[in-house]
Amino acid sequence: MFKQTSAITLMNLRSLPQRAGMSLATVLSIALVVGVLLGFLAMANGFQKTIDGTGSEDVAVILRGGSQFELNSVLSADQFRIIETAPGIAADADGQPLVSAELYVVVDGIKKDLGTEANLPMRGVGLQAPSLRGQFELTAGRMFEPGSNEIIVGEAVLDAFEGFALNQTIRLGTNDWQVVGLFSTGGTVFESELWADIGVVQNLYQRGSSLQSIRARLTSPDAITELEAFADNDPRINELDIFNEQEFYASQSGTLTTVINAVGWPLAIIMAIGAFAGAWNAMYSSVDARMREIATLRAIGFSGGAAAMGTLIESLVLAAVGGLLGAVGTYLLFNGASASTLGSGFTQVVFAFAVTGDSILAGMIMAVMIGFLGGIVPAIRSAYVPLLTVHRSE
Amino acid sequence: MNDLTLIRKNLFRKKLRAILLTLSILIAFFIFTIIGSFNRVLNAGVELAAADRLITMNNSGFTQSLPYAYWGRIQAIEGVRNVSHMSWFGGYYQQPTQVVQTFAVDPETYLAAYPEFLMPDDQRAAFLTQRDCLLVGETLALQYGWSVGDRVPLLSNIWQKTDGSSSWEFDICAIYTASVPEMSTAAAYLNYDYYNEALAFNQDRVGMMVVNTDDPMANDAIANQIDAMFANSTAQTDTATEAAFTQAFINQIGNIGLILVYIIGAAFGIILLIVGTSLVVAISERTREIAVMKTLGFPAPRIFRMVLIESVMLSLVGGLAGVGLATLVLKGLAPVLAAFMPGLVVTPGIFGMALAMMIGFGLITGIGPAMNAHRVRIVDALGKQ
Repeated sequence: MFKQTSAITLMNLRSLPQRAGMSLATVLSIALVVGVLLGFLAMANGFQKTIDGTGSEDVAVILRGGSQFELNSVLSADQFRIIETAPGIAADADGQPLVSAELYVVVDGIKKDLGTEANLPMRGVGLQAPSLRGQFELTAGRMFEPGSNEIIVGEAVLDAFEGFALNQTIRLGTNDWQVVGLFSTGGTVFESELWADIGVVQNLYQRGSSLQSIRARLTSPDAITELEAFADNDPRINELDIFNEQEFYASQSGTLTTVINAVGWPLAIIMAIGAFAGAWNAMYSSVDARMREIATLRAIGFSGGAAAMGTLIESLVLAAVGGLLGAVGTYLLFNGASASTLGSGFTQVVFAFAVTGDSILAGMIMAVMIGFLGGIVPAIRSAYVPLLTVHRSE
Repeated sequence: MNDLTLIRKNLFRKKLRAILLTLSILIAFFIFTIIGSFNRVLNAGVELAAADRLITMNNSGFTQSLPYAYWGRIQAIEGVRNVSHMSWFGGYYQQPTQVVQTFAVDPETYLAAYPEFLMPDDQRAAFLTQRDCLLVGETLALQYGWSVGDRVPLLSNIWQKTDGSSSWEFDICAIYTASVPEMSTAAAYLNYDYYNEALAFNQDRVGMMVVNTDDPMANDAIANQIDAMFANSTAQTDTATEAAFTQAFINQIGNIGLILVYIIGAAFGIILLIVGTSLVVAISERTREIAVMKTLGFPAPRIFRMVLIESVMLSLVGGLAGVGLATLVLKGLAPVLAAFMPGLVVTPGIFGMALAMMIGFGLITGIGPAMNAHRVRIVDALGKQ
């Protein structure tokens, strides 16, 4: 049985060039289906990866109670000074608490792909800010000088927005800024931000001495409870929300990833039905074309099962080649491509398309399923080819 | 037996093949119709934007507000018919996840700026006069089971009152519907004065202005005049037409147009491959038959035409079924998605485009086989074997 099957399979595959048109159409249509699926998954995965990588579990993000996003929050300088004295916060080498007061405003950047304005976050920070981001690294230039109109620019911003090259001067709203450095934070959301001195931002955006968020490095992830207890018991600070930074960002990725998956999967499955009809049609024609050949094989002793397996395997091979082609094509076209969208904080998050191993596997499974379902009926049909077809004249 | 009968018989001579090809064509037009309809609603804001409406914002970005006094100053500009303002309230109901799109507005000028808001006269009067009135959209009212006369508290994730609370009490005194189906009725509007007087900070500031001009031709001049008026102040402005403002907002989500082109391209690429090759095979199977027809006196152009009509017919059968199925699915989805995608239907425009594509697709897939049939030479075809 196995020998018969492999003999017929080889014969089928060698004769594929005779049916080149339809076989190629099957392969390419399956490649397109897999390409669409992988394109969507690469978008969802890329966005998810950026958000998931953001935030560390031993950093606390402190916002005004009920404000949900940094953009909505307002905190006072007094609150900041009190938080600096809170327990559970780690200190740097000089014994200073690792706490960063940050102001988050939105400026208009020009998106490279569409040429229209989009909300770009500008974060006013102190010199402590880098030490609260695990992988912060200045990749070019230098840090901004406190008190000056200088910004450092996240590398993702550079990819997706116009005019942020090193040493360039850029006008944002009514103010001119000098780009003095580029920074990377290991592919996290912070790379979609512009950083400037908090004092300058407070002044230019008329925010007095107010801030929007406080970040604090904790002595351990569990120390957040000490900080919470302190904030609850001190009457001088109003209600605050204290989040574990990692969870704070994780909770924000949900909607978009869900939407992309909710659009991508049904779309790919519906397209797969179209490709399945195509594969069935192609295999049906393939059996049609080989009628006499199959009958001859049956007459000289090959089993119907072997003929069926031969047909099914032909279909599976075409599908697998299609799936592979789709995966390679998507990888070459999209992997690493930079895109940006509106994150839940109402500002742009730049991310890179990520074609992952898991999604390639999902695509291949889909391709093979199309091949199996498209090939199964023609395969059964080829098992029942009447022997007399040998004599059928054209 | 006329040509059409012959074409029909030819089309369905191999039933399974005809069904499979119809199915794959159906899928492509189904996707086209669904995506086209979603895209239309998504971009409806741009299409529906009133020609005479301008939006003025702080040019430092949308989080920066404008002084309340600008309202009066813009009104004084010649050619300006009406000015209103709106401020984002950051509202939610009961818990932060139940977001309610809420704006604080000046009721009278706002309803004048947006005649799309429809409501009974007594409710309109209540919204204009009652300070703690909340004007609620039909979809939103349905979502929370609100009706006129209900008292509801809305919380703000941005603003606080002088007493430290973030909760404003409202009396739902009006429910609006929209004069255009594509306009969202999932938002709520409250009286600016009622909100402003309780604010703990950022008092006497507004989010943005809506300016109606007398003549759309003067839009550019008036926009420039507004921006010039505040050029040397602490809050400079950026004025654009409503259409441009809406387009920029949609573009923030991403390059949706490009994604749609890829999807629809892939969908049609698939059927072009499948149907195109199948028809070539189908016609070449009939070579001898075509030769017989030619022998009987059928002229080549007539055969050419018959093959072409056959492929167009196949495309129309599958395509119309696809559009039909999409229409049904959208009918089911529309009520569910009313809050995000109001007015989700297959419009005559989309149907017309689909129809044109069906005919185009039929011609493209049929032209090759038709030419082959046209070229069949009796001697060669009948001489075979």
